[in-house]
Amino acid sequence: MAEKELTQRSAWDKVLANLRKRSLWMLHYCTGCGAVELPPTMTSRFDMERFGIMPMVTPRQADILLITGYLSVKTLKRVILIYEQMVAPKYVVGFGSCTINGGMYWNSYTTIKALDRYLPVEMYLAGCMPRPEAIITGFNSLIDKIAKGEANSWKDYYENYEFYHKNQEHVFGDIETHHDVPADGKYFRVVEAKR
Amino acid sequence: MSELIRTPSAGRPLAALGAARGADAIMAAIVAETGSAEFHAKGARRVEGQVKADALHSFAAAMKSRVGFEHLSAISCVDWIAQGEFELVYHFWSYRDNCLVSAHVRIDRATASMATITDLWMPASFFERDIHEFFGVVFQGNTDLERYILTDWKGPPPMRKDFVSRDFAHEHFQYKDYEPTWDEMIEGGYRGSRDKTGGAE
Repeated sequence: MAEKELTQRSAWDKVLANLRKRSLWMLHYCTGCGAVELPPTMTSRFDMERFGIMPMVTPRQADILLITGYLSVKTLKRVILIYEQMVAPKYVVGFGSCTINGGMYWNSYTTIKALDRYLPVEMYLAGCMPRPEAIITGFNSLIDKIAKGEANSWKDYYENYEFYHKNQEHVFGDIETHHDVPADGKYFRVVEAKR
Repeated sequence: MSELIRTPSAGRPLAALGAARGADAIMAAIVAETGSAEFHAKGARRVEGQVKADALHSFAAAMKSRVGFEHLSAISCVDWIAQGEFELVYHFWSYRDNCLVSAHVRIDRATASMATITDLWMPASFFERDIHEFFGVVFQGNTDLERYILTDWKGPPPMRKDFVSRDFAHEHFQYKDYEPTWDEMIEGGYRGSRDKTGGAE
């Protein structure tokens, strides 16, 4: 039963996805320099809101976590705290080459090089930096993925939490987020469905 | 006229009041009050010189109270690894003269120990914590040398010249599975920890 729920999409899932893709609230975590591309994306020139994407100020009400630049070790800890506060389904979008492979900080002693080792990244926007056109195109492909039911990387955080947590601990030594991630996975029927 | 002359406010040294002085007058005041003759003018409002490490605290106290340099702008640090020394540069600013005096102090790199001046300027603690974190200099008498910026740092002080950022990054962070070669083209054949995947796999 549970297996079927995961692999086959019911009509209800399709309805949900269709509704979900039209209303994406975005928490933009503006580290680094990528934040300057967001005001034109949000405001009248490119007008992100025509796709139903809207900036949101709290993680608990946001669907997208947009990380707009390099992440130092100190910043990564805050991003993990924020990510775990968000309610599933949630989509991490890495913005710019810094989140992909470290970018121009490839040899820095205090920035992480690959965001997907610490958080499940749904999509990367390549570029240094991506222009608003690229952001809009990227969000459109995210909308397509959600409509098709393929945007499931957030489930990976619950299924492979050991992998992410091990990598997080490798950076921080010991990280305490005051958030019961395995219990979350059960609540969203990700972990139980696997068994 | 005498009404216009400001009376010394509470705790404000007399030397901080009065008309602005030129660089020569400031150097003369430094010689008169601290006995330190190794200062020279770099510009009209810029004076610099050497101070011995054990004399720095009394020099700073005299600068603050008797020469009129009330404000500590910054403490900076330079790693002279070939000479085996750290150079601490104390920047004093005078609101009366609009002039910056830089006192250069050389300390031994191996012991890396220096007396604190937080008893004179409390905010100096920020600079001392910063230098302690990035260069490993211990400021004797500073009771708060906690982690300041690098809160999760476990490696050696990263601003020392013998710290190799690339090697540290390759040991402590995970990279993408592909091997970028453009950094080798730019940096001229770096082959550091390339064969290791690095980080917890």
